[in-house]
Amino acid sequence: MSRQGEAVSPAVEVSPPAGTTSRTLTLWRRLSQLAGLAIWGQWSFYGIFRCPFIVPYVSCQNCPVITCHGRLFTMFWGFWLLLPLSALLFGRAFCGWACPGGLVNQLLGKLAWFKLRTRNRFTRLAPWGAYLGLAVSLYIWMVMRQPRSNIPIRVGEFFPAVALTFEHAGTLWLVRSFLVFGFLALGLLLANAWCRFACPTGGLLELVKRVSLFKVYRTDQCGDCDKCLQVCEMGTRPEAANCTNCGDCLDACPNGAIRIGRKKSL
Amino acid sequence: MVEKPKCPERRIFLKSMAGCALGAAASGIAPFRDAAAAFKGKHLQVWSCGGLAEAMMPAHRLYEERTAVTINYTGAFAGALGKSLLGGAQTEVFAGRVLDLAKKLRQAGKMVYFKPLCFTSYVLVTPKGNPGKISQIGDLIRPGVRLVLAPGASPPGGAAALNILNKAGILDQAMKNAVEKGTCVQRVMDTLLAGKGDVSIVELRITRMADFVGKLEVIPIPEALFPPPPLTFTVGVMKYAKDRDLADDYLSFLTSPQGQEFFERQGFIPALSAKGQELIEKLGVKDV
Repeated sequence: MSRQGEAVSPAVEVSPPAGTTSRTLTLWRRLSQLAGLAIWGQWSFYGIFRCPFIVPYVSCQNCPVITCHGRLFTMFWGFWLLLPLSALLFGRAFCGWACPGGLVNQLLGKLAWFKLRTRNRFTRLAPWGAYLGLAVSLYIWMVMRQPRSNIPIRVGEFFPAVALTFEHAGTLWLVRSFLVFGFLALGLLLANAWCRFACPTGGLLELVKRVSLFKVYRTDQCGDCDKCLQVCEMGTRPEAANCTNCGDCLDACPNGAIRIGRKKSL
Repeated sequence: MVEKPKCPERRIFLKSMAGCALGAAASGIAPFRDAAAAFKGKHLQVWSCGGLAEAMMPAHRLYEERTAVTINYTGAFAGALGKSLLGGAQTEVFAGRVLDLAKKLRQAGKMVYFKPLCFTSYVLVTPKGNPGKISQIGDLIRPGVRLVLAPGASPPGGAAALNILNKAGILDQAMKNAVEKGTCVQRVMDTLLAGKGDVSIVELRITRMADFVGKLEVIPIPEALFPPPPLTFTVGVMKYAKDRDLADDYLSFLTSPQGQEFFERQGFIPALSAKGQELIEKLGVKDV
């Protein structure tokens, strides 16, 4: 069922050949995720394990950790310029197509006990956790002025430096880190718990995606059967909260009501 | 006063190297010897105070190039590394800040010996153009001067600046002018560069970092105001050195004129320089 009062122009729909689009798109998505891992993987790792600040990835321009890739390759500016642009074009696609953390969560999610591919009060309310994560991050970054709560291992061997980081971490740093690890571990119980219910970047993109140009969307032929929900790693439906435009559901709809492209309202 | 050009400093340094060669030998600094064949393919684990990282990394590149040795280097807050080393952590060479730390490691039997490596110094820094018209430390209490500090930074970054203000007898008045009391020296430099502050107190080495070089004006602080403990950097061989000859050779390189030049370039006072020799005597930087 489409949104109330909204009709969809068939002129802009892309009709996929049944059964092949999702598989092809998933293959491309995995390749894209691997590329994301190659480009942002080490920066992502540093942000979680070695960034001395409480909110990682936002203070790289004056971070004392010399060997961090975010600093080495000036990824910081490029990333934060391109991310909003990608959100305006493709909504929350970064989460499903490029984020190294997203890839890790999705792989863990395959082992998860509860996939949570259902619509109930919990799955409706829990995604608000990402907005809470975003609010807390903004508060720490902008109001608390991003305190440094750890010893920066400016240069160091990979694992020994992580060990030193944990050994000398401040309480606030440990709290934030164990929250992240806790959600990551929770992903083995509830699929993609971090991405769906806590990620501040996801929360930010969730806000912006409402105005994105291109997306995976439902037409008014949608029968609310939730077949799309059953194949979604994020346990959601096109255009709903947590949809990352991954395209896994493109062939799932028995009515062919799922499209990818630019949705125009009449 | 505007930061001095680098070339004259280097000339002075190189001249003083020659003058100090004899004195250096007497204080235990041996000349670097080429060890290309002897240590080829070996590894050396080096830990140092994070503040030395900018000098250590290019020095390591040269040493690796010459000897075909691989250096596994960690640079972090010396106090934390020292605490780890006094606990269960191990490394082969440790270059730390604060003389007492080296002495403690020697007394604990963890360090075999140490040598003076270099010294740091503190300066006033202002944005280009010196909008606050700062010329000496007393200006920090002038009404309207915006002071940016990082008292929450890893020691000695923040504490040293407060000590200098204290020794100058202006701590309380100066703190009333503090518009930022940050947790990271490098971050408050950004505040200064953004024009949101008029002056800060930092180590000279900070002004030589890639992000700040040429962007700040540097005004000397009288040496009498420097807090002694954080001034000294030493380098020592730990008892865990797998190849003692290699560790000795590496120390000889760092304390040779060629090795010392990396530290001079990054804003340190090399131990081998005339000033360094003077500080060795003044601060008693001798192995126990």
